[in-house]
Amino acid sequence: MSETVLIVDDEESVRRTFQEWLASSGLGVAVFAAADAESALRVASERPIDLAILDWNLGSGSDGLRLLEDIVEFQPDVVAILVTGFAGIATPLQALRMGVRDYLDKNADLNRETFLRSVRTQLDRIRPARHARALNRAATEFRAAVQNVLPLVRTAAAFNDPVPLPEAVRALLRFLIRATGATDGALIVRHLGADGAEALAAYNPAGEAHPAVGVAFSRSLAASVVSHQEPMLVSGPEVLADGAVELAAFEIGRASILAAPLPVGGGTSVVLELFDKPAPGFAPADRSLVGAATEIGADLLRHALAERQTSRLLFDAVDAALAASAGVSGAVPSAADLLPAAMEQLRAGLTADANAVADPETTLRLVEAVRALAVRHGPVAVEHCVRMVTDLRKLLDGITGVA
Amino acid sequence: MTEPTVFDELFAKLTPDRILSDPRATGAGVTVAVIDSGVERSVLEAKFAAAAAPLLPIEGAVFAPTGPPAAYTGHQSSPHGTTVADIILTLAPGAKLYSADVFGPTGSCEVETVIAALRHAIDVWKVKVVNLSLGVPEHKLQQLPRRQQLLRAIEEAYFRDVLVFAAAHNEHPITRSFPAAFATPLISVDKGVFADPLQFAYRLHDHVEFQAHGRGYLGPFAREPATSWATPHLAGIAARVLSLKPDLKPFEIKTILYWMFRSRQGPAPAAP
Repeated sequence: MSETVLIVDDEESVRRTFQEWLASSGLGVAVFAAADAESALRVASERPIDLAILDWNLGSGSDGLRLLEDIVEFQPDVVAILVTGFAGIATPLQALRMGVRDYLDKNADLNRETFLRSVRTQLDRIRPARHARALNRAATEFRAAVQNVLPLVRTAAAFNDPVPLPEAVRALLRFLIRATGATDGALIVRHLGADGAEALAAYNPAGEAHPAVGVAFSRSLAASVVSHQEPMLVSGPEVLADGAVELAAFEIGRASILAAPLPVGGGTSVVLELFDKPAPGFAPADRSLVGAATEIGADLLRHALAERQTSRLLFDAVDAALAASAGVSGAVPSAADLLPAAMEQLRAGLTADANAVADPETTLRLVEAVRALAVRHGPVAVEHCVRMVTDLRKLLDGITGVA
Repeated sequence: MTEPTVFDELFAKLTPDRILSDPRATGAGVTVAVIDSGVERSVLEAKFAAAAAPLLPIEGAVFAPTGPPAAYTGHQSSPHGTTVADIILTLAPGAKLYSADVFGPTGSCEVETVIAALRHAIDVWKVKVVNLSLGVPEHKLQQLPRRQQLLRAIEEAYFRDVLVFAAAHNEHPITRSFPAAFATPLISVDKGVFADPLQFAYRLHDHVEFQAHGRGYLGPFAREPATSWATPHLAGIAARVLSLKPDLKPFEIKTILYWMFRSRQGPAPAAP
């Protein structure tokens, strides 16, 4: 976007001359001209003005400096060149405060060359500041937009299941019902949030939520299975609640239940339950099949949860960046301002991740090292880094005998 | 062939059944930590009250991977621990039980939590017996430092004369369960089905030495044979022996258990 120059002079010939000089200068500026203060203010009120070239004596008792005072009301960052036959009369300090950066003396050295030199000098000063202002404005608008969108995204995420059950897991339940000959089944999902809040839900084979589980997880059959870490079968009169265990609404009245945990990890427990296989009932082969299938299901769930965790870390990092940028008033927030806050947020997120295998500090050091590598040497260096890590893992696997 | 001496006569009277049926062999004076998913105290109190059997107050704590343990409120995080505690108290009703809930708020059993609970049981509660029916799957111990930390904690228990009974999760075809795989400094237990819950066997295979009765008495899954239920059976038997001689060392208890099995030469356990 080109700069805008406003010429204000009561003499038509002067205005035309200045316009011609600017048009032929190759400076690529947009030029507006006004004969008096009123017209000039109208132009200034309608569009941004970067540079004003003002005649000191505008006739009718008004002068360029007073006009500049009024233009500043609309364009606080405007810079001015004052054209005068009475340079000695102007008050330099006052003029400087108003934004006058140069004088051109009509009686001494005003010609095309001196005029354009003065204009060019001012434009060279205006352009970086103007660019910074535009960037700042864009950053502010971006900030406002993210601030508006982030709560919506968070709210939408909050309405989602805390544990995203991929369709594949539901399909796995339906497959196991068919393969074992069970008449029904359920998936029980319990998730503990970072704040300790518990969410307990159960789904039927169609993936629909059971309206109410009706029992605390700590007293449920599902919790018992999670503790066992292997498929468990209960049948006949044993499918009764006693003091230590209470049955969920969808478990009451079942003749047999084959239940198996999906070892997801972290604060998430998932249990798959199959009900009421007709006589002769669930066999050891059913138990083996369910055991193997739940390991596949657990893998699917772990992937789904890892994706959710990545999104959450991203949200938190953006949130932290916004918070940091809010403290940098009037200036464009730099990466140096945003990075510490974002990294701190990332650290907190990693600490809260119960699935993490390395401590947050180590993970962050690795992330920072790879980031620095990518910045300095590009993606090829990162690829090389990945190969080195893979080779190291193979070496250690070989030494330690880990398959 | 020499004539039997008075000592032979005395030793002939010293039989496993005689030891276990000794009226003093109730677990009295023996402290047992149940490192598990918590114990629902009121359930066991109600059960013992109904049988008019005295029960020492059950104490405990709830553990996390880091930080001090939280107070035990008398509740379970999952029914598993209550079934385990019930088995120990059924066999050794005079034992003093501590519930170390490692399943607690996080909803899973982490290595660091088990280690914290084990250290607390030894240092603070000064227990003589630790029951670990909750195994740590092998994938959580792939990092060698973690495995070494757990082994160190188990060894520490051994050198402080604390008996650790650990369930062997041998259902899985590939992975092993820890700490049961650390068989030397502890007593690893597999499941079997015995006519008498006080019976057990020495069956060495894959780092697992003993086999005990695998059925419990409380909860829907209690009748399902499991190493989780076999372990507290052997821990309860050890508690009975320890109430007769409380200062036995882990290797002495292991030897006595081995001798008891050999002396009985009882019927081979049925396949679970």
